[in-house]
Amino acid sequence: MKQLFPAQHVLGFLFSLLLTLVALVTVWFDLSFAAGLTILVVTAIVQASLQLFLFMHVKENAESKTLYMNILYALFVGLVTIFGTLFTMHWGYMVK
Amino acid sequence: MKIDHSVPLEYSTEENKMKILGFWIFLGAEIALFSTLFAVYFTLQTNTNVGPSASDLFHLSPVMIETILLLSSSFTIGLGVHAMRLGLKKPMMTFFGITLVLGAAFLGVEVYEFVTYVGEGATIQTSGFLSALFTLLGTHGLHVTFGLLWGGSILLQIKKRGFTPETANKSFIFSLYWHFLDVVWIFIFSFVYLKGLM
Repeated sequence: MKQLFPAQHVLGFLFSLLLTLVALVTVWFDLSFAAGLTILVVTAIVQASLQLFLFMHVKENAESKTLYMNILYALFVGLVTIFGTLFTMHWGYMVK
Repeated sequence: MKIDHSVPLEYSTEENKMKILGFWIFLGAEIALFSTLFAVYFTLQTNTNVGPSASDLFHLSPVMIETILLLSSSFTIGLGVHAMRLGLKKPMMTFFGITLVLGAAFLGVEVYEFVTYVGEGATIQTSGFLSALFTLLGTHGLHVTFGLLWGGSILLQIKKRGFTPETANKSFIFSLYWHFLDVVWIFIFSFVYLKGLM
């Protein structure tokens, strides 16, 4: 039975629940927008990395370098999409 | 077919390795897809027209239930892959089964939430904010729905054929997909719900 629940996975799961609670701080307490958003960005990134490295076994893949490049490229495309959109549609780069 | 026994079964043939790599590239494309939906949501989130705003609409408890369900399902499928590597068929099937049940429960709560929203007069046609919200949540929910069918058919194959390079490969790739859906949900939870309630 014990071999079915490797410590690393169990700790990872508990840590992911903890991160969820930390993110809730932004709703429970009256933080400034910047402080709240910072907490959310940090907890989301840690949470995503946890999934990536612990559960998705990126490191053990023989082609892990290719995988990292692929993930980084996808993130680059994604972030350009999101922030490029906000830049043109929301932050009004033309209207002063 | 050459089977390499020094690595887990799911990586054991050249074709299997290629399939896993190919699936990661697909997940890269999925990141791009969800990024466009997040971009639309961030752009339109203040365009509430006559409908409710994010802070009027969202309630923390269903969202917390959804988050915990999906995080737990991500954990159990991780345990499933671990059991598969130990060659334990029954525990692996149990963990994959629990994962699918948790996924179905997540969908149930999400559907309940959608019904509540529509009951409050917040439909996909009410405002730009709601169109973007339902499209983002709906695309994620559709992925989960598809995952239930996919995972269910993999369970049947494992039951029939046991662990072979093919079935192990399929199970592992499905676990990647499931973890990815959890990652997307983390971003929805943080930047749609919590940010909306902040």
